[in-house]
Amino acid sequence: MYYPEPITKLIDSFTKLPGIGPKTAARLAFFVLEMKEDDVLDFAKSLVNAKRELTHCTVCGHITDQDPCSICSDQSRDNSVICVVQDPKDVIAMEKMKDFQGKYHVLHGTISPMEGIGPEDINVSTLIERLKDEKVEELILATNPNVEGEATAMYISRLVKPSGLRLTRIAHGLPVGGDLEYADEVTLSKALEGRRDL
Amino acid sequence: MYIKEISVENYRNYDELSLQFDNQINVIIGENAQGKTNLMEAIYVLAFTKSHRTAKDKELIKWDSNYAKIKGDVFKRNRSFPLEVIFSQKGKKAKFNHIEQKRLSDYIGALNVVMFAPEHLNLVKGSPQERRKFIDMEIGQIQPVYIYHLGQYQKILKQRNALLKDLQRQKQTDRTMLKVLTEQLIEHGSIVLKKRLQFLQKLREWATPIHDGISRGLEALTIDYEGSINVSEDTDLERIIETYTSYYDSIEDREVERGTTLAGPHRDDLIFYVNNRNVQTYGSQGQQRTTALSLKLAEIELIDQEVGEYPILLLDDVLSELDAHRQSHLLNTIQGKVQTFVTTTSVDGIHHETLKDAQIFNIHNGQLLSER
Repeated sequence: MYYPEPITKLIDSFTKLPGIGPKTAARLAFFVLEMKEDDVLDFAKSLVNAKRELTHCTVCGHITDQDPCSICSDQSRDNSVICVVQDPKDVIAMEKMKDFQGKYHVLHGTISPMEGIGPEDINVSTLIERLKDEKVEELILATNPNVEGEATAMYISRLVKPSGLRLTRIAHGLPVGGDLEYADEVTLSKALEGRRDL
Repeated sequence: MYIKEISVENYRNYDELSLQFDNQINVIIGENAQGKTNLMEAIYVLAFTKSHRTAKDKELIKWDSNYAKIKGDVFKRNRSFPLEVIFSQKGKKAKFNHIEQKRLSDYIGALNVVMFAPEHLNLVKGSPQERRKFIDMEIGQIQPVYIYHLGQYQKILKQRNALLKDLQRQKQTDRTMLKVLTEQLIEHGSIVLKKRLQFLQKLREWATPIHDGISRGLEALTIDYEGSINVSEDTDLERIIETYTSYYDSIEDREVERGTTLAGPHRDDLIFYVNNRNVQTYGSQGQQRTTALSLKLAEIELIDQEVGEYPILLLDDVLSELDAHRQSHLLNTIQGKVQTFVTTTSVDGIHHETLKDAQIFNIHNGQLLSER
């Protein structure tokens, strides 16, 4: 590289972000040079603050700036249902729906022995503790419908089953507004498997 | 079904080449190392999106290029459609009717191909892995959903083996996760097993009379599936699941001790018998070849039965490996109904009237010299 050191460093920092290659990083870095100093300071502060002030909620594991998080401390929410998800982004997706009034538990990943991720590496033990303390009636397992997500859901269900609370798994099958004729065979067979009485 | 035209770009030793085919017999003639087999491979790749010779897709790209493209026009069920497979440094894309198909199982099956190459003569005496590959490929092109279950099975198998290694080294002691993975493995493994058994039953129905014909009634062929559990094609799926479940329970300690999965479709095998004797151990080379030929011919008939049209047959350097009797049996069977591609260094060794009307392509150093 023939750039002065400060900009080389900036480019290197941008390349560390997902989905950004060297060319995009260079474009972003040069754009930053053109920005107003105040805006750049704000930007830098937001980066540092996001990292410093955000922690994981000690109850559910969701990202938050106060502990426990706003969802966990919300008195109006239903304490009897916990929805278990893989990722903080999944909580946000669920919240956008504005339909779910229960609480969440974020696992931060799925069990994958191949990658060396065992049950102790995801946020399961706190979930088990929660089930002892709180008066939970239903656990919704909302991990992704792939091999690892399914395995993780099955693992949790095996741990929790003896306690006798209601365990549910989110449905998978046809997308809303989709056409039957365009669905692949696997999705169709899953949809048929999960059919319900009318 | 037949292929009307194929064109390749930056593929193996070809810069650019486009060939129009006869819907009957096409013969590709050339010296060694001129690219005959590469053309056969191109047709195979168009059907399966991967080579029969290598697992590394990058080998298909011409050495000085960064992508390879194979396109074909296929006529099937009274309509024609284009297929396209593109390989680049980023991976591969498969297009059916100009539209990219994200799932392999949505693409495979559009073009049905049966390949018969010298290595298939070893199907009987080769490794169990080759026989499993044979059965997996054939079921996959008839029932694409099989590919999905097989893929899931292999993914879970890797996870399970990794966990068994951890348990063996006592990096992990809790077996709950093992139970989960076993349950998942059985879910897909049972479907794989059931579909294999059903396929084999149909294949047997075709292969036995064909073998009888080639051997002039002297040899009776039977095919058995050798699996970890004792079930038959009539066993229903639930029973297979139950049987697997209790079997895995019984070997769990041994699996932990060995640190790997000891049962399942990935360890099963096919056994061939001629006149009640195991061909692999006791059969002559001739019997082994006849068995391989019977299987390939049975496959062609089975695809016709399941798909409603004959597949395309690729005979890569294999005609010269068969004696005159087996040659003519093969050529008589396909005559007039199966579009066939034959590669050979010369037509001298092949005496059969079917080749007289064939379209002949002369290939030299990645280029078409002449066409007749």
